[in-house]
Amino acid sequence: MMPVKAFSDEWASAFKDEVNRSATYKSAAKGWKWTVGLVVEAEPDKNFPESRGIVMDLFDGEARDIKVGPAADAQKCDFVITAPYSRWKEVATKQLDATRGMLQGKLKLKGDLPTIVRYTKASQEMTECTTRVAVAWPDGN
Amino acid sequence: MHDQGGRRMARRKLERDTQPELVTYSDQEPSAFASMLGGLIEANVRGNPAKLGDFERLVARVGIFVTDIDEGVTLDFKGGRLVVHNGLEPARTITIRAEAETVMNLSNLKIGPLGMPVYFDQVGRGVALKLLRGRLKIDGLIPNVMTVNAVTRVFSVQ
Repeated sequence: MMPVKAFSDEWASAFKDEVNRSATYKSAAKGWKWTVGLVVEAEPDKNFPESRGIVMDLFDGEARDIKVGPAADAQKCDFVITAPYSRWKEVATKQLDATRGMLQGKLKLKGDLPTIVRYTKASQEMTECTTRVAVAWPDGN
Repeated sequence: MHDQGGRRMARRKLERDTQPELVTYSDQEPSAFASMLGGLIEANVRGNPAKLGDFERLVARVGIFVTDIDEGVTLDFKGGRLVVHNGLEPARTITIRAEAETVMNLSNLKIGPLGMPVYFDQVGRGVALKLLRGRLKIDGLIPNVMTVNAVTRVFSVQ
């Protein structure tokens, strides 16, 4: 698979396809009906000069839409996870487990905690899906 | 014209502000883990009268140590109030040691009849297996089974 530019429209589309291909996600996310925003904070020294937001419209085990846009759009979602670019890269390259990252405060979570905890398995699988997308990172691989 | 929406909002804010403080933090800067556990328990207790009942009766000092991030907290339940400390404090009633994923699974244990955690569904079996294999350790379990069950009920989002 050709690598796609990190956090680009092509990346969003490939990520959405991975999520919708996952039977594990489909069953673990049954009943989920909230939007999730990922805020990727800028790190100019890593060749990622502007913050970006990923808005995920997830419903009942399906990714209906995943869009990349301004960080402000992602911040309006029901659940928001924020981290600098390099942390997201660590997650997507399996160097950082997302659950551990949240407990350590490396990934900052905003939203109703009991709900997100209830869907731990779904969020773990969603992280797995990001690792399956071949990515060309702006600061090199 | 009256701004009824605004007044309703103000009343809601007032109600929220006058709600008794259930969870406090002993450290000026609570760790992410401490904030997460404190926030989770507060949301559980405020959203569920049965859990609130448990919370009001619970008096115990519970340590939770996450082995794969090398971080712990102490939950000091004081019968209707909880003080969360960064790190493990002395004189704990029970101490739970497990990996991050297992700690999250503990909060996903279903509560069955008589308020007992359910260990025969998929999540419960996983937790029981970790306990048997020593990947989940609960110091002080035997003399404090009822406390462990009460803590599980307060902690569980199910």
